[in-house]
Amino acid sequence: MALNVRDWAVKFGEATDRDPTIGAMARYYTCTFLWDMGTQKIIVEMVDGKTYRINTDPQPLDAYDFALKASPATWREFAKPIPDPMYHGIWSASFRRDLKIEGNILVMMQNLRNFTVQFELLRKVGVPV
Amino acid sequence: MAKHSPVIGRYVTINVDGYEYKVFYLRNGTGVPVMCQHTAGCHNHQWRGLLEDESITKDYDIIAYDLARHGKSDPPLNREWWKEEYTLTASHYMNFIIALSEALELDRPIFMGSSFGGNVALQLALHHPDKFRAVIPVEAAEHAPGFYLDWWRHPHANAAQVCASGVWDLMAPQSPDMDRWLTWHYYSQGSEVFKGDLYFYSIDHDLRGKLENIDTKRCPVIMMTGTYDYLTPPEATENTARQIPGGIYIEMEDIGHFPMSENYPLFAVYLKEALRIIDERT
Repeated sequence: MALNVRDWAVKFGEATDRDPTIGAMARYYTCTFLWDMGTQKIIVEMVDGKTYRINTDPQPLDAYDFALKASPATWREFAKPIPDPMYHGIWSASFRRDLKIEGNILVMMQNLRNFTVQFELLRKVGVPV
Repeated sequence: MAKHSPVIGRYVTINVDGYEYKVFYLRNGTGVPVMCQHTAGCHNHQWRGLLEDESITKDYDIIAYDLARHGKSDPPLNREWWKEEYTLTASHYMNFIIALSEALELDRPIFMGSSFGGNVALQLALHHPDKFRAVIPVEAAEHAPGFYLDWWRHPHANAAQVCASGVWDLMAPQSPDMDRWLTWHYYSQGSEVFKGDLYFYSIDHDLRGKLENIDTKRCPVIMMTGTYDYLTPPEATENTARQIPGGIYIEMEDIGHFPMSENYPLFAVYLKEALRIIDERT
């Protein structure tokens, strides 16, 4: 059963802020991204390596830098402790599955190290879909 | 008592198409020579596990070199290389490998490379089958489009981190953290050449329609790909091997695009099988 999105947001924010790999190079990790899971959308706002805000009910004009969009089934695959091949990262899933990366990709590239580590926290926290 | 590795590093200067390269290589072992090519934008430390694997070095002379512009092999010493955009071609790449083999006086070595090293292994089997005992293309395919990207050296991003984290999920999540982060570390060191390497990988390398001309009686081809490789997924390698008369495909479970670097103990299981097949056929 999927986590309640508000509970998920608390767990994900705590997991991010406690993560030592992000913490080791967190100082300038600042960006805002949308995760579109089909039945649930989330906007995460990172400031200087810490979770500033997680918006669990984004409205049409709420701003973000870049977005990851995929089906709920794909997000559930991302959240397995050991994902199956091609669901094991944003590059693999965008090359071989239904993940779309949209928006200002330059901002994603500027923050790629920490964003990649943070994305993989889904394997510990799960997803709300 | 200091712990010394049996691996020795040396430089040799070669000329390739008029380019003077001082090439660094690591070497250990006795027996059949095996030339090992690292992946694009990387260097020969990817082969650290193999270089110190006594169960293989007792029968094989392992030579892992840095391609020019990578690791400790400098760009050409007789050209103002900083005034030209680097784009590696299949022809120059093959000529480099052959010149290095001749400089080291290797007797028909086995050639093994991963990713863009695997793709050049296919090129060598097609164009120079009599110079090599066999080839082991790892994570290779007849054609590998889609990775010649401007992001690898975009001036508005941290190119070292983009390259290192951009290849992160080419590795399997099961591979040990230490080895994945070492591979990440290597990839943070080669961002200025990564895109130029990928010109060969994704643009100049295209053997579609030519694989049937590879003569595996003269040069056996043993292809190996990991199940977590999204660039050349298993089906791409299998489809390539199937078009090569006598070509062999070995699928590697639970490993990715940098098998020798991300999880050497698992890679060694498959490598020994490839070497056994080559030993039978040569």
